[in-house]
Amino acid sequence: MSVTLSKLSMRNARRQAADYLVYFATIVLVAALLYAFNGLIFSEELRRLSKQMAILPPMIVLASIVVVCIIGWLVSYTTRYMLTRRSRELGTYILIGLENNQVARMFLLENLAVGGCALVIGILLGNLLYQALRAIVLALFGAAYHFSLSISGKTMALTLLYFLFIYLFAQLKSRKRIRKMNICQLLYYERQNEGAVVKTGKNRRVMFVVSIILGVTGTLLLMAGSYFCILGICFLIAFLYGFFLSFASGVPAYFEKRPARKYQGQRLLIFRTLTAKLGSMGVLMATISLLFIATILTVGVGMVFNGLYWGRVEKNNCFDLVLATDDTGEAVYESCLDYIQENIPLKEARSYDVYLLDTDHVMAYTEVSTMYYRYYGKDSVMKESDYMALRRMLGYPEVVLPPGQYLIHCQPYVEAGLKGFTGEVRLGGEVLKRGETCTEVFAQNMYDFGNGAGFILVVPDELVEGCQVNHTMYVAMAREPITEEQYNKLFALKEDILWEQEIMDDAMLYVKAADEAQAAAGTASTVFPMYYLALVLAMTAATILTIQQLGEARHYRQQFALLKKLGMDGQEMGKALRTQFAIYYLMPAIPPVLVGIPVIKSLADAVEPGTMVGIYHPLVIIGMALGMFFLIYGIYILLAYSSMKRSVLPE
Amino acid sequence: MLLVENIEKYYGSKNNVTKALDRVSFQVEQGEFIAIMGASGSGKTTLLNCISTIDTVSAGRILLDGENVSELSAKELARFRRERLGFVFQEFNLLDTLTIEENIGLALSLTHSDPGEVKRKVEAVADQLGIREILGKFPYQVSGGQKQRAACARAMVGGQSLILADEPTGALDSKASKNLLEIMTQMNQNMGATILMVTHDAYSACYAKRILFLKDGRIFNELLKGERTRPVFYHEILDVLALLGGDVSDVI
Repeated sequence: MSVTLSKLSMRNARRQAADYLVYFATIVLVAALLYAFNGLIFSEELRRLSKQMAILPPMIVLASIVVVCIIGWLVSYTTRYMLTRRSRELGTYILIGLENNQVARMFLLENLAVGGCALVIGILLGNLLYQALRAIVLALFGAAYHFSLSISGKTMALTLLYFLFIYLFAQLKSRKRIRKMNICQLLYYERQNEGAVVKTGKNRRVMFVVSIILGVTGTLLLMAGSYFCILGICFLIAFLYGFFLSFASGVPAYFEKRPARKYQGQRLLIFRTLTAKLGSMGVLMATISLLFIATILTVGVGMVFNGLYWGRVEKNNCFDLVLATDDTGEAVYESCLDYIQENIPLKEARSYDVYLLDTDHVMAYTEVSTMYYRYYGKDSVMKESDYMALRRMLGYPEVVLPPGQYLIHCQPYVEAGLKGFTGEVRLGGEVLKRGETCTEVFAQNMYDFGNGAGFILVVPDELVEGCQVNHTMYVAMAREPITEEQYNKLFALKEDILWEQEIMDDAMLYVKAADEAQAAAGTASTVFPMYYLALVLAMTAATILTIQQLGEARHYRQQFALLKKLGMDGQEMGKALRTQFAIYYLMPAIPPVLVGIPVIKSLADAVEPGTMVGIYHPLVIIGMALGMFFLIYGIYILLAYSSMKRSVLPE
Repeated sequence: MLLVENIEKYYGSKNNVTKALDRVSFQVEQGEFIAIMGASGSGKTTLLNCISTIDTVSAGRILLDGENVSELSAKELARFRRERLGFVFQEFNLLDTLTIEENIGLALSLTHSDPGEVKRKVEAVADQLGIREILGKFPYQVSGGQKQRAACARAMVGGQSLILADEPTGALDSKASKNLLEIMTQMNQNMGATILMVTHDAYSACYAKRILFLKDGRIFNELLKGERTRPVFYHEILDVLALLGGDVSDVI
């Protein structure tokens, strides 16, 4: 028989993986995520999709560095927690003659073994996850997906490097800790209870009130955006720690003064269970809450970006190609048109002018009733013949413009704002009344160009004679999707001429395929890393809460066994456990929800009107962000509850 | 073998100092079986912790085989614990991941002893303590009494010169307690183990040859068994405890 340190480490590693299954599963998932995202970095196939995808690797590396820091902290925290929970065991090792260095080495081996296993399983799982991410990215670009499982050396090496950083950081800290450990404290550690951090009632009350004020101010500053955000974040951090420390310290004092409430129902049991580790619980709750705020805001910001990219695409994606110039951009217009006619096979094309009236009645009305931003000084109009031709080109149903009327084609949000508008248009000596309103996609979100900014009035052809031409439009439907290369050529042509003539922004080139590719690249390089970060943040926080809760299982088991002997029935015990669980898991989630909702709403509202609509509506985004957060959180809560119920409640 | 000279131990901070041990001195000879008794808070466990190097003394010195334990380096202290001291705790302190056999042999195998020799030694001590048949089991698979006997075996398998026991019968029923105490007596008499046992139980203490009574951190009385029978010695212990003014629960 021989039990060497390494054998002992391996056995402890097996036990660690079983005892801290939730933690182990989280590390496996993180390894899978790191591998999958690293896979995106090294994928030639994805890089070839668009030049815009060049931004993807640095963005993912940046997100992965943050993930490494967060998971480094999680591993370090859990290692420290395990050291505390296993203090008696470690004390026994030292007692039977092991040196602190040997214990530290054994603990290091144990953790490296757990980390190594998690990495191997994570890489296998990560490969599948990478396939899913690959399929999503390809779908974003409208490219075909073919399943091809392969393990990339570069991806594995980078994942291994990240893991080494995560574990080295945590293990160096725990090594230092073990070397300093005092055997007496180790053996008797479990018998200690923590005291209140903020001891006097007055200090607690002041801290509580100040923290609430800081919380509200911090949220408002975050909503205000720009530089205020940094101050807002500082205020929120102070709020969370102040709130939870004063709250945690205040609970025992509250019940001490009100014994009748303390002894009501199961309160005594629940309150004592929750306050046994008072000091660290306050700090822990505040830290978890902070991570949850970061989760909700990160996923919310990711969704706002997603809405921004695709909402803008959806407002313009009717024509395959749009070229627009004002009177100074004639050279651009001619050159680009030459290139288009020579290189891009078209189904249909049309060139026309967009005019300006000498009044701004519609615009002024829209400005008051919506968040409309004015790009032109006056209301824009187009000829009825051009409009009808464009509708036919786009396959929209035919409309009729009755005599004496004008038609409005606008974005849906403008239509909502124009409800009740009955303004007349005086043009060419005639007075036109408001007629029908159409809201199909009509290239109306092209800022200074496009078919009006948000809206355009359609009037009989003869009436626009004499109106000022604002810009000339050329729109086309291509036989085949316009390639990125063709777009780049056209874009370079435009830029070169503008550069030569020293004129800025007097021409606009829109290619639907390029616009969609840009949105897809934006989604892949900013939205994906944000979801990735949010997922890791939520998993980290939920894992810590669950580890803490399950770590107390033995204590709870003894407690409920005793309660059973004292005559508590099974139903009551189940209820007490559920209540305690609900309080424990709800408390750190409440501040993030209260902070997250207004901040995401204000962020989404800051985007130009008409973009965040449909599935990108701010309320839908808030709902989805909270839904995603509570889904991940809920999985951890369910896992913890079922495991706790099984192991804690007596048969 | 063991010399405890004027040791003092203080706990707490500047404004709230508790004196746990107050100039305690005594000597233990090779092969003795000594019990340390006293009411709760009298300093029994603190004294044992100081001797066992689990805790440090505030003043005074402890010499084991002429070596001052407070002057040892961390490395020497580890070796000292491994080779010279054996521990038996109320809560057994066995490692859950190891079998009983591995728990007993762990310290030996860590000193890179010959594996065959380790197994032989473990089996020999297990035979003497009557736990041979449970060697392959894990701690959670055996009874409290068996666990404590395994802890005793671990405490002496390496030929440790002093066995320190802190309330070894505290978590056992009366039958298992009696069994353990007889085993400890056997370890003392037949195997030459020197035992220092902390207990507040008069019945456990009457198995010792000498009893030191502690009160408020000081040695209050000393009782030698001599040629007395165990029941007589037991009643004498109860008399001293009554004098000490301990709680009824400490006596019974």
